[in-house]
Amino acid sequence: MVKKILLIGTICTLFLGADEDKNVYERNCIPCHRYAPASLEKLFMVYLKTYSGELSLKGALKAFLKNPTEADSLMNNTFIENFSVKDKTTLTDEELDEAIDTYWELYDVRKKLK
Amino acid sequence: MLVSKNKGTSLLRSSEKSSLLRFLALYFILVTMILLLLGIFYYQSQEKLMFSNQRTILSEYANRQVQALKQLHNDFPHRTIYPRSIKYRSAIYDIEGEKIFSLLKHDNIRFDKEIYRVGNSIHFLKTLDDYYLGAKYLFIEVDEDKAWYKETMSNILAFGTLTLIVLIIFGLFFVSIFLRPMRNSIVLLDNFIKDTTHELNTPISAILANVEMMDTSLMSEKNQKRLSRINIAAKTVSHLYQDLTYLTLSHNRKSKDEWIDMKQLIEDRVEYFAILAGAKKITFELDLKESAIFIDGIKIARVLDNLISNAIKYNKRNGKIFITLRKNYLQVKDTGIGIKSKKVNEIFERYTRFNSSEGGFGIGLNIVKSIIDEYDLQISVESIVDVGTTIRIDFTKGTLDG
Repeated sequence: MVKKILLIGTICTLFLGADEDKNVYERNCIPCHRYAPASLEKLFMVYLKTYSGELSLKGALKAFLKNPTEADSLMNNTFIENFSVKDKTTLTDEELDEAIDTYWELYDVRKKLK
Repeated sequence: MLVSKNKGTSLLRSSEKSSLLRFLALYFILVTMILLLLGIFYYQSQEKLMFSNQRTILSEYANRQVQALKQLHNDFPHRTIYPRSIKYRSAIYDIEGEKIFSLLKHDNIRFDKEIYRVGNSIHFLKTLDDYYLGAKYLFIEVDEDKAWYKETMSNILAFGTLTLIVLIIFGLFFVSIFLRPMRNSIVLLDNFIKDTTHELNTPISAILANVEMMDTSLMSEKNQKRLSRINIAAKTVSHLYQDLTYLTLSHNRKSKDEWIDMKQLIEDRVEYFAILAGAKKITFELDLKESAIFIDGIKIARVLDNLISNAIKYNKRNGKIFITLRKNYLQVKDTGIGIKSKKVNEIFERYTRFNSSEGGFGIGLNIVKSIIDEYDLQISVESIVDVGTTIRIDFTKGTLDG
């Protein structure tokens, strides 16, 4: 019995420790979008096609995450009707900036074009 | 001191030449500027024509590239190879002007012009409505065909040179037309002076000789004064006669250069002008050292006479004339009315006078300058209005005597 308790405790500690190693983006964005019909990568390309530059894209994304509205959403009407607009972020400004920076770095096309 | 001669000095010709050169220089600059301006306009129009021809092709390339970018955007990140073409090179920039990807040879791009030349290439800018891969600006680059440039430049050079030559010929023709009246009036005046000069000699000589011979001891003081006035008037006319003779006849006379004792000559001329100076109560202050120059006696006498007579003519009553002679220079300084600084350069022009209220033709200093130039001497004038004028002649270019 004691052994079982020790084993469960160790596993929980490991999971909690692993979660702490993740950054803001991985902790707050990936978990939900993992199950969303539009991947984060596809969404990035939609944002890129609409806002073009790094500053414009980051600014627009931050504004939307802080106050998501149907008018500002880049998703089509069918998507919004089915899944509605996302909830407001609970992250602070700093956390939001960090998450968006990570997102940009991850999918920036300049590094991938050959 | 031996001074070298510079023959063939003709002030009439030199003033004409100077006017001609000034006009031609101005005309040449003006014509060149106009032609340059026309050349620039022609070049710009040819460049516009070339751009207009290129725009259609480059626009077609840009549309093709946009389609390829759209395809790549949709396939990204499974396909990441930037679309290339053998006919052109391209680059994409985002809305903030940051480079996304570039294959251009010349990266010094411009966002304010649709089509422009850079190095040996032409850049064409297309602004995208949909920012595929984040690209708002698409640049298409092709190598420039230099044929239009060579043709344009050779046209500009050929037509420009031809037009310049024709316009210069026209300019010369116009100058000769403009100068003709001036030349005619000078020739007329010269001829008039020449003719009257011949008629002056005999009566003046007769008056002077008889005045000198008259026994003044028997005359009353009143008559002595009257005779003195006749003497002054006759000497003034004689001086004018000497100038006119020099001006009209001297160029045909061969110079007889010899060693002239300047000190002796100055003393002689001062004595000659003493009565003239005395009439205005002007006194001479002489500071003379020994000096000799190798020059025509008549000519250096004309120089001295003119300097002294001007110093008397333009002096104030009770004024002074300081004459300084050193081995290398002669200086005549008066306490007269002076000349305005902007007029100093004009005093050697023929028929120019300091002051129209004084008599004379304005040829004295013109003669001085012609002799000075003929013998490569240096003359300088310093003048302050109401203080006086100093004229200095340097014999520096000559060879020192012994």
